[in-house]
Amino acid sequence: MSCISVNALSKSYGSFKVLDSISFDVDYGKVFGFLGPNGAGKTTTIKILTTLIKPTEGNAKILGYDLLKDEQKIRSRIGIVQQKISLENNLSVLKSLELYGMLWNVQKRIREEKIEEVLDVFGLREIKNSKTEELSIGQRRRLQVAREFIHDMDLLFLDEPTVGMDPNARRILLDYIKKKVSDGLTVFFTTHIMEEAEYLCDEIAIINKGRIVTIDSPQSLRKRYGSIKMVELRLKEPFDRNVLNYDGIEIDNNIVRIVSDNAEEMLAEIVRRLHDNGIYIESLHVDSPTLEEIFLSIIDERYEKGN
Amino acid sequence: MKKVIRLVKRNFIATIDTAFLIWQIFFPLLYLFIAGYAYASIIEGVELADKKIEYPAFIASGIIGLNIMNSSVTAGSMIWNDKRTGMFEQILMLPFTRMDYVMSNIITIIIIGIISAGIVIFASIPTVFNGIEISLSSIQFLLLAILLGSIFFGSIAIIASIKFKSNEGFQTMLNTTFIFFAFVSTTFYPAEGAPEPLSIAFHINPLTYVVNIIRAGLFNSIYDFLYIEIIILTIISIITFTVATRLLVRLNV
Ligand SMILES: Nc1ncnc2c1ncn2[C@@H]1O[C@H](COP(=O)(O)OP(=O)(O)OP(=O)(O)O)[C@@H](O)[C@H]1O
Ligand SMILES: [Mg+2]
Repeated sequence: MSCISVNALSKSYGSFKVLDSISFDVDYGKVFGFLGPNGAGKTTTIKILTTLIKPTEGNAKILGYDLLKDEQKIRSRIGIVQQKISLENNLSVLKSLELYGMLWNVQKRIREEKIEEVLDVFGLREIKNSKTEELSIGQRRRLQVAREFIHDMDLLFLDEPTVGMDPNARRILLDYIKKKVSDGLTVFFTTHIMEEAEYLCDEIAIINKGRIVTIDSPQSLRKRYGSIKMVELRLKEPFDRNVLNYDGIEIDNNIVRIVSDNAEEMLAEIVRRLHDNGIYIESLHVDSPTLEEIFLSIIDERYEKGN
Repeated sequence: MKKVIRLVKRNFIATIDTAFLIWQIFFPLLYLFIAGYAYASIIEGVELADKKIEYPAFIASGIIGLNIMNSSVTAGSMIWNDKRTGMFEQILMLPFTRMDYVMSNIITIIIIGIISAGIVIFASIPTVFNGIEISLSSIQFLLLAILLGSIFFGSIAIIASIKFKSNEGFQTMLNTTFIFFAFVSTTFYPAEGAPEPLSIAFHINPLTYVVNIIRAGLFNSIYDFLYIEIIILTIISIITFTVATRLLVRLNV
């Protein structure tokens, strides 16, 4: 059984279809990355899966519970860090952590222990007496993430949790999530930072305009979408261009660039040609595409088809 | 119920502005003594069923009702505040139902109502209430009035907070409506002395019923129509509460 099993979920606001029949599964103990451009429907999906809003059509099972019927059971086993900052006013960092633990009915002793832990992990100890309104954006975000780890849960939704965090804080959060996942937590994660997704996620879904475009592991995505993206050959000396008369090749003095979907095959062919013509290669550079480039190419493709 | 109590606790710790709360509770005292004694020289005594009471005592009991109405603005402000801080959505993703949330707001203002009534009574006993006896039945009537008044006015505040697009709009509308409610009621003067149309207007105002119930209890002057007033107030409280809850349950976030 999956931790999250989404079946043909749709959401419309009036005639505007924000989510168009999305389906996917997330296994227990995994990090599921949900990526997509602004307005793609990521936050809407999270709001539905956390029972804040109702889908227009379709259903889902969360932790084995029916999304539409077992709201309260689901809520008691999940954690959520919303995209928008949501902190109590007029409270110190410490008080607001305590209050959150109280709302979750975490036993006082455990609450205190957990608060001690998150104060350290998320670097909040020095500012524990500061009022929440006085915090910087990144500090607020850290507090909002930290409080979610005070209570017990099986599934955590994180909607762009690292926005506003410095690189150090970001890395600490990602590593802390990894640790929790190795202890059995399942995580649903959205971000616009591809390195994060690659570092953290076991599986990635790319959503665009309310539709899921692809779901795969980061490794397979690379394999599928970018065999080898660009090969650059530096030759010992300039040469006659007619030797290499192929499509998808750029020649710049003694530099040859192959930019093609089947760059691997072309490379073999080109090396043979150069060898046959007695031209020597000085260096070879292969650039594999980043997840970001894959992401852009997927979104772009859809964009062109859509228009 | 435990969940609702946790939310009520949260309201007192985080949502309610402490300065506002103190003002809300102590302001009526100011009013009570200044207005009460100032008018006492022009208004003699007030006939109340079979009794005649001094004007300051009359107004003190009215102020308890007035304060229940004013405190209920807090119920709407709490929703505004939670929406602004983003805690409204957050709480609705925690293991609470929207009904828990509405209940916690109403209970919060009932508590504020009880505390402020307690303070007014406490301050009035040695002064304007001299000689009155607070019996168990007085307390029952008083609690009933606070309960029904809080549910009715609290629900009105919740409805207004959902319907208005800005906090300023909500506050202004509610405050002006409540001033109207206050003056067209038996809070400051008895219905009997007022001209016919006005006295009819008094009786389509729920605040009048709240205040009448309080007075009947405090001065032990029960009259026949009182029970009908209680029934009417109960019915409209249930209706407004149902509307408020429905609206909040359907509210898009
Ligand atoms: N309450 C609403 N009423 C109408 N339209 C809405 C509402 N909420 C969201 N939308 C629309 O739904 C679309 C998806 O929004 P959503 O917040 O899910 O995007 P997102 O993928 O999270 O984007 P971002 O990366 O910017 O956070 C947007 O076009 C948005 O305008
Ligand atoms: Mg979003």
